[in-house]
Formats: sequence, C-alpha cells, structure tokens
Amino acid sequence: MKAVFDQLVLYFTYPFVRYALVAGVLIALCSSLLGVTLVLKRFSFIGDGLSHVAFGAMAVAAVAGFTNEMPFVLLVTILCAVLLLGAGQNAKIKGDAAVAMISVGALAIGYLLMNLFSTSANLSGDVCSTLFGSTSILTLTQTEVWLCVVLSIVVVALFVLFYNKIFAVTFDENFAKATGTKANAYNLLIALIVAVIIVLAMNLVGSLLISALVIFPALSAMRVFKSFKSVTICSAVLSVICAVLGILISILQGTPVGSTIVAVDIVAFVIFSFAGVVHGGIRK
Amino acid sequence: MKKWIGLLLTVMMMGSLSACGSSAEAASEEAEKIDVDLSSLSSTMVYSEVYNMVSSPEDYKGKMVRMTGTFGVYEGEERNYFSCMIADATSCCSNGIEFVLSGDHTYPEDYPELGETITVTGTFDTYMEGEYEYCQLIDAVMTTE
Repeated sequence: MKAVFDQLVLYFTYPFVRYALVAGVLIALCSSLLGVTLVLKRFSFIGDGLSHVAFGAMAVAAVAGFTNEMPFVLLVTILCAVLLLGAGQNAKIKGDAAVAMISVGALAIGYLLMNLFSTSANLSGDVCSTLFGSTSILTLTQTEVWLCVVLSIVVVALFVLFYNKIFAVTFDENFAKATGTKANAYNLLIALIVAVIIVLAMNLVGSLLISALVIFPALSAMRVFKSFKSVTICSAVLSVICAVLGILISILQGTPVGSTIVAVDIVAFVIFSFAGVVHGGIRK
Repeated sequence: MKKWIGLLLTVMMMGSLSACGSSAEAASEEAEKIDVDLSSLSSTMVYSEVYNMVSSPEDYKGKMVRMTGTFGVYEGEERNYFSCMIADATSCCSNGIEFVLSGDHTYPEDYPELGETITVTGTFDTYMEGEYEYCQLIDAVMTTE
C-alpha cells in the first residue's frame, strides 16, 4: 500500500497528471448532470452519435489544416445536436433513427477523409487514440485545461439556473408547453450543453465510450434513488469518483484511461444494482 | 587486548558504514543526475510523458533523461536514426525518442536486435533537419536487458 501511495505521490509531481485529474473531474461532473435528462428522454445514444459527428468534424478540420480544431468541432457538433434534440418530439425523423443516420454518416465520412487526405504518419494510431481515448486526457495542455474549466463552469451554471425548466421539459414536454414553458428553447439549451460536453468528453474517454460516461452514472443512481434531484446529485458524485478512480488505476497499472473509467463505472453500476435490490427487499 | 579488539571492531564498523554511505551516496548522486526517469513509470505515464516531451521540447532541453523501451532504427540516406520506442496501453500508437550514443559505434555490430528492450540514459536536446525540429538524447548510454 505504501508503495502505491509513494508511486502516486511521484505521479502527482507531473503536471499532466494534475491536468488530467482536473479535466477528468469536470468532464465527469458535467456529463453526469445531463446524463439523467438524456436517459429519461430516451436519448441515451446521443452521446455516441454526437461524438461520431465530432470525430468527423475533427477529420475535416485536420484535412483543412486548422491550427486549432476545437472551435470548428464545437460548432459542427452544436449544429448537429440542435438538429437532433432541438426539434423535440416534433422531429420528422425520430430519436434513434436520426442519431444513427448522423452518427454513422459522420464517422464514415470522417474516416474516409482522413484516409484520402492523410495528414499524419500514423493514421491508424491517431484514429484509435481518438476513438478509445487511451491517453488523450494525459496529453492536455494548460490552455486546453483552462478551456475545459471555463466550459464546465458554464455548463454547471446553466444546469443549476435552468434546473426547474430542464426538469419540466424532461418529464413531460407537452405539459410544459401547455403551461407556457418555451419547451423548444429549453430543448435547444439542452442540445447546446450536450454538444459542449461531448466535445470535452472525447478527450477523457474517446468517441466510442462517451455514452458510458453519460449513461452509467445516471442508471446506477436510479437503482437506489427515485427523485430527480437525488438521482442527479448521486449521479454527479458517482461519476466524479469513478473518473478519478479510473484515471488513478490506469496510470498505476498502465491501462488505457478511457476503458478503465468505463470499467469502474460498470462495477459501480453492479454495486448500486445490488444495493437497490437489497434496499427494495428490506423495504418490502 | 579487549581494548584493542574493541577498537578494531569499532574501526571496522566505521569503515563498513562509510562504505555503505559512499555507495548510498553514489547511488543517490546517480539518481540525482537523472532529471526525468521514465524507467520507473507505468506504460500509460511513459507514453504521456514522451508525448509531452516531443510536444514541448523546450521544457526538457538539457535535462538528463532515462527511458526504457524497445530498440528501433530507421536507415536514412545519410545516416541511421536510432530510437527508444514506447507503445501506449492499447499498443496502437507508439512514440519514441531518437538517441545518439556517446563515443564511436557501428551499426549493427554495436547495437541490439530490433525490438529488443533497452534502457537509454542521455541528455535531451533538439536539432533542425530541413524545416522541422526533432528531439534526441545525446551523449547517451544504452543497456540491454
């Protein structure tokens, strides 16, 4: 145990480890907050879809030679998020079909462009690293961390400020409209926040595993808690703990960061499921 | 007689302690010389640190670096480029740093087999080739496992 502690103390002397923990905590917090809303609105795979869109946008930006890809990726992802979520229940192509269409299309076009106009000597490695996030979170610059901090503060602030409206639009959009709530506007807000979180989360777990970061904490919390508020708070705390544990385990054991975090999320889900069964059994 | 034996034992003990101290001091001195020791880190940490070294070489210039990886060589037109390669956790990406051994060495006689595990200790430096800046460990010492 002492050896592990000493190793961790050594690792914390490296700036990129501190950056990874700061960014990881913030990303996990933000993704868990919106995760509850997305799961309840049956948009669990929106994270997957938008991350593929972000991948495609990243490919276009790389081919176009942009020095900083983030603004372009954010813009494209926000536009697609608005297209998918902003229409709400009145979309002509509904939820899963729309997500699937945009998701696979962007992924295919992105990979095709990267192959046709390759800008890297190690194409497979770059694609693999972007998809699975093996070490992306550990290679952040200070500027990227600050950007992550600012965007996370904005996301959390928006969620806290508009909590009641997001709650209303999540559970019963038609009732919310009937009572005068501008449901379309709040759907747009949710879409905007989701897009920002997805682009940030790609650095933590990679494109393919983002859904896990969004879904698992929310589902775990729902095994034990029943109210929207308690599920949201539990989901946030759980997501942060799992992200920190995942990052620490991966740097100690030399495992890929993204999949280690998801593995910890899965273990947490199993524990919470068991706790929910026991708790429900005791209450009966 | 007992006094002389006691004195002899004391001198021997002092001598052994100073010997331990000197090897400990030597080990400590050697450890102090290494500014960036990648050989004691996990593979995820090593890959990330090498990535940062290659991305921000100005932060590491002049520092003594020790790293363990696999031996790689690129036979260029004018010279050979020898490197110590690190793979990331998924083994789909690899990163590495070129090294130049101190003294005269001939390839392949004085170098290990491709892919063999090596530990390289050298001073981090950069150089220009064409319009690009490259990183390398100069005055390097290499050991094989």
